[in-house]
Amino acid sequence: MFQYTLRRLLVALPSLLGVLIIVFLMVRLAPGDPALLLAGEFADAATVERIRERFGLDDSYLVQFQRFITGVVQGDLGRSTRTSRLVTEDLADYFPNTVELAAASIVFALLVGVGLGIVSALRSNTWVDALAMVLALVGVSMPTFWFALLAIRFFSVEQGWFPVAGHGTLAHLVLPAVTLGLSSTGIIARMTRSALLEVLGQDYVRTARAKGGTPGSIVFKHALRNALVPVLTVGGLEFGSLLAGAVITETVFNWPGVGRMLVNSILARDYPVVQGAVLLIAVSFIVVNLLVDLVYGLIDPRIRYD
Amino acid sequence: MLKPIRRLVAALSLAALLGSLAFAQVLVVAQGTDAVTLDPHDTTDSPSATVTSHLYETLFELTPEGAIEPRLATDYAFSEDGLTLTLTIRDGVTFHDGTPLTAEIVKGSLDRFLDPENAWTFRFLLDAVEEVAVTGDMQVELRLANAFAPLLAHLTHSSTAIVLPAAAERYGEEFAANPVGTGPFKFVAWQRNDAIELERFDGYWGEKPGVEGVRFLTVPENATRMAMVESGQAHVAVRVPPQDITRIDALPDVTVHNVSSVRTIFMFMNFALEPIDDVRVRKAINHAIDREALAEFVLGGAVRVSDAPIAPGIFGYTPVGTYEYDPELARQLLAEAGYEGGFATTLYTPSGRYLQDIQTVEAMQEMLAQVGITATIETLEWSAYLEQVNAVPGESVVPVGLLGWGTVTGDADYGLYPLFHTDQQRPVGSNRGAYSNERVDELLDAARTNTDPEERLAMYEEAMRLIWDDAAWLFLHSETQLVAVRDDVQGLVIHPTERVLAHTASLQ
Repeated sequence: MFQYTLRRLLVALPSLLGVLIIVFLMVRLAPGDPALLLAGEFADAATVERIRERFGLDDSYLVQFQRFITGVVQGDLGRSTRTSRLVTEDLADYFPNTVELAAASIVFALLVGVGLGIVSALRSNTWVDALAMVLALVGVSMPTFWFALLAIRFFSVEQGWFPVAGHGTLAHLVLPAVTLGLSSTGIIARMTRSALLEVLGQDYVRTARAKGGTPGSIVFKHALRNALVPVLTVGGLEFGSLLAGAVITETVFNWPGVGRMLVNSILARDYPVVQGAVLLIAVSFIVVNLLVDLVYGLIDPRIRYD
Repeated sequence: MLKPIRRLVAALSLAALLGSLAFAQVLVVAQGTDAVTLDPHDTTDSPSATVTSHLYETLFELTPEGAIEPRLATDYAFSEDGLTLTLTIRDGVTFHDGTPLTAEIVKGSLDRFLDPENAWTFRFLLDAVEEVAVTGDMQVELRLANAFAPLLAHLTHSSTAIVLPAAAERYGEEFAANPVGTGPFKFVAWQRNDAIELERFDGYWGEKPGVEGVRFLTVPENATRMAMVESGQAHVAVRVPPQDITRIDALPDVTVHNVSSVRTIFMFMNFALEPIDDVRVRKAINHAIDREALAEFVLGGAVRVSDAPIAPGIFGYTPVGTYEYDPELARQLLAEAGYEGGFATTLYTPSGRYLQDIQTVEAMQEMLAQVGITATIETLEWSAYLEQVNAVPGESVVPVGLLGWGTVTGDADYGLYPLFHTDQQRPVGSNRGAYSNERVDELLDAARTNTDPEERLAMYEEAMRLIWDDAAWLFLHSETQLVAVRDDVQGLVIHPTERVLAHTASLQ
């Protein structure tokens, strides 16, 4: 398993280099000039030129890329051209917030989604199933933005149960985590239902029933464990994309995460920050995928890594 | 099942309540965007300037009424030839780290601002200053290359604030996040994209603030920002969206304040392109727009229709005219110019940079169609937009483009010179339409060096009348600031330079 992990990490290196090259070129090829943005609509040409020199934007792409890669290898992602702050410091500030929100959302989505899926599968084709699946559909299709605003109006402004926005306490986490987890909940519920239904029709489940197993032990011990592999795959992918930042949820709830940071830096053409954030997101995607693959083995002992 | 949930919710709300009680004497201000930097010299945006204005002080201060008052300088004198400005520095001022303010420090701060290596955007404000010399313990001299009348006004600009050079040196690049000023509040913490906390500075030389601290929150989403002031989590929320004014103002404990701003919104017209180069066409466009309707229906009454190229509250402002909404006259002017059947053009606009920008331009498209002008709209995201409108006159493809200009110095020079002087055409300044009028140039040059306020006023009035009659822009409106304030806040200042100031605020 150690060797497998190591091999996977080594294989990831070329992908990371590819990501770095693509993001480096994309931010520079997009229209817009960081020096111009920093100078603003009021500045004269000489000021723009001075700013360009100050950030080394007048060097050739090759020189800039070499500087960037050398930095990455040394763990230095440069300084934001907008705030002149170290990019690594920015990431160290924002990323934990994103992880906190993504983790809370995925826990909510897994608990509620798997729960709904189980209920649906056990009561398939009854009104309970229909209701649960309509809820799942609503979860997937409800615009985050709209749900977030409704939740703020009802739970915060009218009932006063949770703070409107911000972050810091557990109470601050509830509304954004539920909002963000809603669509994953729907996907996971539907996935659990179909996987469980398929498993429940298998021979070994009939055998378990014939042995006189209780409904609980049949579902949780025999069926669910086998049904969970596809659910885990979906859950892992969802978690990966949650880690990439959730711009809308972060904006509405004023959550200082990577998503908003990335969008702000793209709008400001803040090259070092965009590069750093994308690099971090790529790394977390790779790590989450690897973890999911490793967890398969825990759920399904037939899966081996060698 | 329900009981534990209720208990959890109760516990969580209690925690939230306790959290808010702990900040009972702290004024909470919700801004739309985070500060970019807390280094005043590097500041170009209102959210940063708002925060630095609490931490740092300038030599002079522009009151909300437009008067210039002494702040860190107590007295000034211009030499006979207008080439030297002698400043007396206030005694008994200390920085937040205990360092007393001296003439040496003032010189150091001004030198840092003027150092071309630093490439600050607003350096041009003090371009006239050639040298700063210490001439006494508490006296400095600013030596000028040429007489420059707006200098005092420029020294009120928040980016010329006096910093502690030793602290700037010590912190280097990190100075932006470690401010040390002389202002009534000192810096406590900055969680990016979340909150900036300041506390009252007990060693402040002047009248101490009525609140123990200020907390600036970053709340980008309009609806959330409004919900915060509505629920009492913030005392102040800036930029009330026009569609919410009535609802928020109707709340029993919140009032929406409408304060004029020095920011003018206009569409520049490109004199290098046909048929815009014809004054009759430019006048026709100006007469084709129903500004009152735009102000009321598109902008929710949050603007003041322009009657001059600059807004009231700026030294030099005089109303110089109106372009009545008159589609008939517009068609007639077009016919005279040889465009009886109208013509096709493109309106350029950024998206989301100014209040209701796209919506305003869309409404104008309709109005122009009424007089036969077929306009297509080109919307660009801000940075791509800037690149387009910054092209030099011969190369620019933008016939008409929406822009805003904040005359943040409170002096007409900055509101007119960079925008209308022939020398300020791209790529040098901000005269993006390549406007040129010899008499206007003469007047703007003269008003720059003349130190008699009455004569300057007369010069600016004549220049603005010429600009108006040349229909140099499609004149639109000046923005007003809509700020929601809870009724328990007293003495808050909403400054025309788009800053909310807590210096004299108190909470009941």
